[in-house]
Amino acid sequence: MSRRVYTKTTDRRRKQRVNPLEAAGITYVDYKDTDLLRKFISDRGKIRSRRVTGVTLQQQRQLAQAIKNAREMALLPYAGR
Amino acid sequence: MRHYEVMVILDPDLEERSVAPLIENFLAVIRNGGGKVEKVDTWGRRRLAYEIKKKPEGIYSVLDINAEPAVVKELDRQLNLNESVLRTKVLRPEMH
Repeated sequence: MSRRVYTKTTDRRRKQRVNPLEAAGITYVDYKDTDLLRKFISDRGKIRSRRVTGVTLQQQRQLAQAIKNAREMALLPYAGR
Repeated sequence: MRHYEVMVILDPDLEERSVAPLIENFLAVIRNGGGKVEKVDTWGRRRLAYEIKKKPEGIYSVLDINAEPAVVKELDRQLNLNESVLRTKVLRPEMH
């Protein structure tokens, strides 16, 4: 029962999935662009997984590195609690 | 010569008008070392995501520099020696 619900939701999501970075026309992920990076972290400050963000593996790596750089410069919070 | 991007967070207790001369002071290191300063972008006061040295704010500045690696290394060393510098980051944007 619960399994059926799960498949349903993934099917629905797959249909409308768009690459958010391509949609914004971004080729280089800049760690200074906090407004952009904020879309890829949760309320707690954790980096969102690729399953959620829908970007390519290469982009996810760039994003993760940019978020970590931004954290070092206190532009973004570290994941706390 | 390589292109570098240096970000500095300065002490928020600094007076607004003393910021530019201070940065200019640091950039002398680059100029004396045969490098070129392409752009200085001072964002001004900005809230920090977390406190650094008990300070909730910082003055951000981004420097675009073309210089030899050793010169930039020396700049970073001098920045970190200065008490009014909370944090620095040196990056080569083309590498990413």
